Amino acid sequence: MTAAVLAQVVVSGALMGLVYALVAYGFQLTYATSKSINFGQGELVMVSAFVSLSLVNAGLPYGLVLPAGMLFGALLGLFVERAGVRLALEQKSEGWILMTIILGLFFLSAAENVWGRDDRPFPTPISSDPIHLLGVDITPLEISVAVGVFAVMGLVELFKRVTLLGKAFEAVSADRDAAELMGISARRAIMLSYGLSGMVAALAGILVSPITTVGPTMSSTLILKAFSVAVVAGLDSGFGVVVVGILLGALEAVTSLTVGSGWREAPGLVLLILALAVRPTGVFGKATIRKV
Amino acid sequence: MLRVEGLHAGYGASEVLQGVTLEVGAGQLVALIGANGAGKTTTMRAISGLLKPARGRVILDGREVQGLEAFQIARLGLAHSPEGRKVFGPLSVEDNLLLGAFRRLPAFFGYRRHAAAGLERVYGLFPKLKDRRTQAAGTLSGGEQQMLAIGRALMADPKVILLDEPSMGLAPIIVQEVFATIRRLKEAGTTLLLVEQFASSALAVADRAYVMERGRILREKSTDDLRHDEGLLQAYLG
Amino acid sequence: MLRRLVLTRGPELAVLGFLAAIPLFVTNPYALGLLTLLAIYGILLIGLDVTVGYLGQVNLSHVAFLGLGAYAAGLVVVRLHGGFTFSLAAATLVGLVFGGLLAFPALRLEGPQFALATLSFATLTATALNELEALTGGAQGLSILRPPFLGHPLSASGFFWLCLALFALVWMAMRNLLASQWGRAFEALRDSPIATDAMGVGTYRHKVAAFALGSALGGLAGGLYALNFLYLQPQSYSYDLMVILLLGVVLGGRMSLWGAFLGACLVVLLPNLLSNRLLFQVFSGLGLLLAAYSGTRGLVKKTTRPFQALAPVVAMGLLVVGGLKVQNTEDWRKAIFALMLFSVVVGLPEGVMGFAAKALSKLFHLEPPALPPAASLDEVLPARASDGSSLLRLIDLKQYFGGVKAVDGVSMNVVSGAIHGLIGPNGSGKSTLVNVVSGLYTPTSGEMTLRGRLLPTGSLMRVAGFGVARTFQNLQIFSGLSALDNVMVALRGAYRTPMPLVLLGAARGEERKAQADALALLELTGLGVDARTPAKDLTYGSQRLLEIARALARRPELLILDEPAAGLAHPDVMRLVEIIRRIASRGVTMILIEHHMDVVSELCTTVTVLDGGRVIAEGTPDEVKRHPKVIEAYLGQAPAAGAAAEA
Repeated sequence: MTAAVLAQVVVSGALMGLVYALVAYGFQLTYATSKSINFGQGELVMVSAFVSLSLVNAGLPYGLVLPAGMLFGALLGLFVERAGVRLALEQKSEGWILMTIILGLFFLSAAENVWGRDDRPFPTPISSDPIHLLGVDITPLEISVAVGVFAVMGLVELFKRVTLLGKAFEAVSADRDAAELMGISARRAIMLSYGLSGMVAALAGILVSPITTVGPTMSSTLILKAFSVAVVAGLDSGFGVVVVGILLGALEAVTSLTVGSGWREAPGLVLLILALAVRPTGVFGKATIRKV
Repeated sequence: MLRVEGLHAGYGASEVLQGVTLEVGAGQLVALIGANGAGKTTTMRAISGLLKPARGRVILDGREVQGLEAFQIARLGLAHSPEGRKVFGPLSVEDNLLLGAFRRLPAFFGYRRHAAAGLERVYGLFPKLKDRRTQAAGTLSGGEQQMLAIGRALMADPKVILLDEPSMGLAPIIVQEVFATIRRLKEAGTTLLLVEQFASSALAVADRAYVMERGRILREKSTDDLRHDEGLLQAYLG
Repeated sequence: MLRRLVLTRGPELAVLGFLAAIPLFVTNPYALGLLTLLAIYGILLIGLDVTVGYLGQVNLSHVAFLGLGAYAAGLVVVRLHGGFTFSLAAATLVGLVFGGLLAFPALRLEGPQFALATLSFATLTATALNELEALTGGAQGLSILRPPFLGHPLSASGFFWLCLALFALVWMAMRNLLASQWGRAFEALRDSPIATDAMGVGTYRHKVAAFALGSALGGLAGGLYALNFLYLQPQSYSYDLMVILLLGVVLGGRMSLWGAFLGACLVVLLPNLLSNRLLFQVFSGLGLLLAAYSGTRGLVKKTTRPFQALAPVVAMGLLVVGGLKVQNTEDWRKAIFALMLFSVVVGLPEGVMGFAAKALSKLFHLEPPALPPAASLDEVLPARASDGSSLLRLIDLKQYFGGVKAVDGVSMNVVSGAIHGLIGPNGSGKSTLVNVVSGLYTPTSGEMTLRGRLLPTGSLMRVAGFGVARTFQNLQIFSGLSALDNVMVALRGAYRTPMPLVLLGAARGEERKAQADALALLELTGLGVDARTPAKDLTYGSQRLLEIARALARRPELLILDEPAAGLAHPDVMRLVEIIRRIASRGVTMILIEHHMDVVSELCTTVTVLDGGRVIAEGTPDEVKRHPKVIEAYLGQAPAAGAAAEA
């Protein structure tokens, strides 16, 4: 294998890694307000991608499909919060883990029956003819993924850091009671974060589908990698998920090339278990203090 | 300004408050004193909505607020500086103060401009906070965190402030500073309900005081009477 | 006695007998196949219930242990030409070993992280089974022939009886385990992991062992699964099956052997339910009625929130409508599982057995078996000679949290046999100090020695092993356990039977002894009459005393009492003082953190006063009370406040 092939594989893998990072970022958004994550996030990605595909097939221009798909994702996120998370959080239980798994399973089944079990291509006006850049081939489609990921993460980070509402998010996460005493509704902050998280998931689906095709199985592969990224990076560092996402994407591509494509999932999973064992708060995460 | 009538509240099956009645007039500083576990903090939590009262009424500026969510009560003008300060550790000092004014600021942009006067006032009161405005609140010393918690409550421009144990865990010299601040707030016409374990310090600044025991108000007295109540002081030496 | 035996054991024997008798009358191979699966899934779900129920964690890896066990048995038969028992033993062992390996890292995690770790393990296992083609045959699968059992080839009914016998054995072993210290420890670590560690029981150790045991059962079930189907494919052990297993445990009722059995019935019957439309409609209709009934009842009685009442009705309603509209229910199986599981988790969180147990306990009131007479106190808490030498010494201890100096250079010396008072205003660092000494926090700097030996830092468990016991300011009782069990959990050195023997029921003798010992400590604290009362139903004052009794079960050299009188009414305080005196008379050294100055004056020989994380005074209670700094710290010098106002 030549260095050129390796470089090519690493670059393509890293670009896929950005999609993992984006899905993982969706976990961070909800974790930041409520210390909960949606175990069915992968299904949100998949269902939003299918809905967008239907919109494309219905003849809606791509420029409108993007916002419409993201809106749909946000609505799904809100539904997950209402149906799966709120009750458990108010009872201070961890029931949300099982509940979000259940909702994900429901979405998966619905998608299988509505859109079928086969993988389908996702047409896009963006070209997939490679252009030669610094010794590797890269397609405008792949570039659009990078642009989309960085744009939306940048915007959300800006919202979190610059607006007062974004700071209120962080306040809810730091101390829910104290935030309520400032007049901040913790419940609405959590709802909003689930909506945002759903929106981010939808965007990930719309960006990645033209490259990988759309199918019910895309959720399970994506979610595990996103979990790995989120856990290794820690659930509170937006910068961390990008770095780890890129690394994991590249690592996977190299593994797939050298060991065999069936082992593609393995590095992420091994990394996940190791990271959990060695540093449960993540490489970029913060430690907490136990109180009695 | 704040009236509480026959308040019952508790955690799970145990009823901590068994009919608390008290009143704070506009511009008054009222102290609530009593032994550990008497129900002072629970009273405050039940007033501000962190704990849903089982029975009784809480009237803020002529409006019944019991049963509302804590954030709704806060928006109606009640600021509660909780026990243990509860500053937002990862956020900067200035962000903490801005969030204190959340109820009256625009949610997205331009909030700094709206909050400028309030910030100046708090920084005037606590110059140390101005020096540390960009520092994460969690890294402040205990005394500074208490200043921040009081400043955060002031930022809301509230009708009533509940101050829960502002002296907790602070060295005596800092405690004196805190009480000097409370005195200044009172002189500026702020309405305050103060929970305090340092009975005599609280009595030195308060207009009136209530003594609590086992979830009830034991007695209400002018502070002069209480201050000369040797038995009471003896009881709270520890 | 007889009534008790009939009521508790009767149903078990009846069901077992009934199941065992079926092959004598029914020869339909399909029905026999279902019964065999019922026994196998019974074992599997009992294993899953260990983590999902007793440890209270969402475990997504159980299906992987089923798969590993199945392949272990299959490979032993195919590659090693091993026999029946050898292959089952290998399956169980593989479950145990892999379970233990996963447990070590995974059980340091809680909640979502644990779920993630187990999910990754399951996916990794599926990948490996698929990809290690040379060994497993990969996606093509692996066919095996069932080896004879002890030289005899097994008929279908013979294999069923074997599975049923194993299920009965597992059932009995689990019952023995749950009736022992292990069962109490599981309950305790769910209620308060911190107190469990502080009582020297070792949260982590118990969790790892429990997980490994559950996984071993998964492996055993896998072995039987392989010998039943005689054909293995990696995709059998999928996420779908995992969700069905969770559905079984949750619907049947967590933390219940009967619940696991009911769950297994459901798992076995589900495929039939989905293929038979009429059955499905009847079933979903019943579900809807049940959800509507219990929802309305909950709303009328105001015991449930509107969401809890409505959501299951909506979900079951969807199931009914779907059953009428959809052409092929099999296509929608995942959605059907999801809707059922959703309804159960929201509407019936305790499962069928949790619900039934409540109703049954109202119908049949059972007296618990009589307790042995209390042991003598000299045996349980032998009097120690106190020589007045130094017991605990702290040198320049510091504990900082970020910028907050909670403990800022404390040195103190506690002499043997003393009741050493530790006072100071709220937040002065008393609680942090004892949290450091008892091992909850690792100090920022400083040295701690007990009888001249360095105390371990940052491990409640290891400090507890050094003979330090404590109570907690914010009660950390094991609220689900009885008062007696609370004390029994902490009894030091009472349980020596190794786990395998406990499973066989060999721990009954030491249980009786432990009951007698614990009863003696309850009587010492005046709680003898409340031995059988669940700790959560005790009065607040009694709960505080229970914490003391529990700490004494550690036979401590040093007992730390963290505000034992907080929130107590006057008569209770007097009772407490009397009890502390009695404990002191047995030579136990104590550190007493207290706000009530009169209690401190009455009991303590030496008092250390903290303020702002530092020692501001030390001496006899009288000396300390007159100390100007103490008066200032406690009363907040009024003249100074006046001076500040004038300035």
